[in-house]
Amino acid sequence: MNLAHDSNAKPRRARHPERVILFYISNQMFAIAAEAIQEIRSTDSLAGAAIEIENPELLKVRHLIERGRHTYYVVNGCVHFGLRVTRPALVMVLRQFRAVVLVDRIDRMAEIPGVYPLPAAFGGDERRWYRGLAYLDDTVIPVIDPAGFLRADEFQRLDYATKSVAAHRELEGAVQA
Amino acid sequence: MSETQTSGQPSFVVMQIGRRHFALPSDTVVELAPPVRLHKFPHDSPLLAGVIVRRGRIVPVYDAASVLVGSAALTQRFYLIARRRVGKSAEFGAIPVNGECELASGEMSAPQPERPPFVVGTLAFNDESIDVLDFSALAASRPPAAGDSGPTGLPS
Repeated sequence: MNLAHDSNAKPRRARHPERVILFYISNQMFAIAAEAIQEIRSTDSLAGAAIEIENPELLKVRHLIERGRHTYYVVNGCVHFGLRVTRPALVMVLRQFRAVVLVDRIDRMAEIPGVYPLPAAFGGDERRWYRGLAYLDDTVIPVIDPAGFLRADEFQRLDYATKSVAAHRELEGAVQA
Repeated sequence: MSETQTSGQPSFVVMQIGRRHFALPSDTVVELAPPVRLHKFPHDSPLLAGVIVRRGRIVPVYDAASVLVGSAALTQRFYLIARRRVGKSAEFGAIPVNGECELASGEMSAPQPERPPFVVGTLAFNDESIDVLDFSALAASRPPAAGDSGPTGLPS
């Protein structure tokens, strides 16, 4: 067989080490680029700020947070990855997306030597979830693509649903007044 | 890996999964890898059990036993690494085996009727007629859903 293109390739970015945050969701370790995270807080610190979505459009998003003029959607990492549901203790606020992610705990920051491409055999949603795989301390760790937590159409659905609810409430308030 | 070969005839690697033997054309087989750690992480690709790291490569592992013999074979500790086509590219993939692999030669016969698409022929091996597998087709198949009576069309 002619291996015209070998998708088990060795890390393409082996010469470009990267700082990542290693964290756990339901006993599964993940890595995410440190620069993709704006802040990490405890879930307790957001308890008063989180607004429950009455009729969730997506099972993985049941709360939102208003920060400034923006609405951030709270993604349950367990539901997103289909893992056993745990009681998350932390939220990671993403830097470039209006999403915060519920996670169990942070392991540490680390430098990975590079990112291996996800083998082509993986053809499901994981191609959207992960940028690739890291190999650190004899462990293969999926490296998360922050854009994979919520697709553009999922943001649109959530925005539409939350704006509709807000408009309905405003209308009800005006009628009662 | 032991060898039972006659020159001039196509050769196959015969592996044992569960209590049954299956063959892969030897030109698709890369190596028999020793027991190494199987790394698992969330995904929704059917048949994939995880990945192993072998010679600096990350190699996906296929739970072939669930398709071939109807259950995950707990005794499979070694990995037979072979090439498979994925679209226009090719990559290595691994099948857990029990380590007893043989190189055998012989003419491949047409598959028996109603065999699944990943069975491309049969091979006479030690008074037994065993299925010759197309690894690419096997890797693209789906494990039987819960409640199905058995493996994908393969009588034991």
